Amino acid sequence: MSAERTLLVGTGKGLFILERNGSEWSMEGPHFAGLGVFAAMLDRRVGRKRIWAAPQSFHFGAELSFSDNGGKTWTNPEERLIKFPVDTEKSLENIWQIAPGAKDDTLFVGVAPAAIFQTLDNGETWSLSRGLWDHPHCKEWTPGFGGLAVHTIVTDKADPNSIKIAISTGGVYQTADGGRTWNASNKGVKAYFLPDPFPEFGQCVHKIIRHPAKKDTFFLQNHHGVYRSRDGATTWDEIESGLPSNFGFGITATDSGSVFIVPLEADAKRFTCEGKLRVYRTRDEGESWEPLTNGLPQENAFEVVLRDAMGSTENEVYFGTKNGKLFGSTNDGDSWEQIQGSLPEIYCVNVY
Amino acid sequence: MPTTVFLSGHLKEFSGGLTELDLSGPHSTIGDVLEQLWASQPALRDRVLTDQSEIREHVNIFYLGRDAKRLDGLNTVIEPGGEIHIFNAVSGG
Repeated sequence: MSAERTLLVGTGKGLFILERNGSEWSMEGPHFAGLGVFAAMLDRRVGRKRIWAAPQSFHFGAELSFSDNGGKTWTNPEERLIKFPVDTEKSLENIWQIAPGAKDDTLFVGVAPAAIFQTLDNGETWSLSRGLWDHPHCKEWTPGFGGLAVHTIVTDKADPNSIKIAISTGGVYQTADGGRTWNASNKGVKAYFLPDPFPEFGQCVHKIIRHPAKKDTFFLQNHHGVYRSRDGATTWDEIESGLPSNFGFGITATDSGSVFIVPLEADAKRFTCEGKLRVYRTRDEGESWEPLTNGLPQENAFEVVLRDAMGSTENEVYFGTKNGKLFGSTNDGDSWEQIQGSLPEIYCVNVY
Repeated sequence: MPTTVFLSGHLKEFSGGLTELDLSGPHSTIGDVLEQLWASQPALRDRVLTDQSEIREHVNIFYLGRDAKRLDGLNTVIEPGGEIHIFNAVSGG
């Protein structure tokens, strides 16, 4: 956990921890061998080195676990940390997101069925966020291919009461009061699969991210559609000019403000356009896009990058594919190297 | 007579390594037996049952060789001295 760069790579068969010192990568794992790991997070706040992970057993369900020793041992609590209360009449299906709250002991997880759980004591106790669960829209959200989940949680270090989330299929919601009340925030985002293509909610938003330096600027990868908001994720404008397709899942931004996506052909053709693995980068907040190909296969490359399988920090970008390839760039996407080529299906790439 | 519970090997990490337990009762249903099982092996509960105390979709519980989901689930009435098997289903990817 003291490497120059650490990656937590969650896959269909476990969690891998990669570390780089100089130009050399090391990798160990899989942790939770045989289990899917859809979410992971390294908490380095207030001197911690705690790795959180959300392994999902096909048979025995999903759970939340952590390690304070770099993955040598993991907690395995008798009673699971994340459980739906009896009165909800629901049971946990999967954990899609682990996100730090604004306060040092606060964490959120986004789960399926669509809900948020939070802890105020660094994971000792967790509770269902009733404000979202009791929202009148909740009963009208519908599952997508991956289920019905809160898969994205964006918190604000400067404002603990401000949280944005994304739900498939429900759209973007945000709270300004710490989660007591939530409002749909999908104005301008299309839902081509509904009779009203611009409903208040019901969009299949695949991922949202905040601009690294601009508090009110957000980017959104939709189920067909790429958008930007400059008013705190309230209204959205299309930014698709120059892209080969507006379908995709992952989206990430480096500290310079460059934004990266990997377009796929279409929802019915979920693989990279024309069999070329191209990352598209915008350096002007979506006014224009450029394909990045240096070091990426440009023939017979039918890849899919899932919603959490892109990550970045400083000027480094990493992404993993469903075919188990892990790529990285240390120069804001100008060139890429393949770091691993035969991992299990990659669900999430977290960069530290 | 005790009811004997057999666990699949995949559940050993939640049962202290045990795969066979004799539970003396009294119990009149599969659910009664499992409540006694959870008392001695509490980590098994959340792996076998959902948050709503239902048998997980990909876990099978057999009583005298019959699938409890095709009987009366956890309310299935049992006789003293029977055998219960808990397996992970033959499913997955």
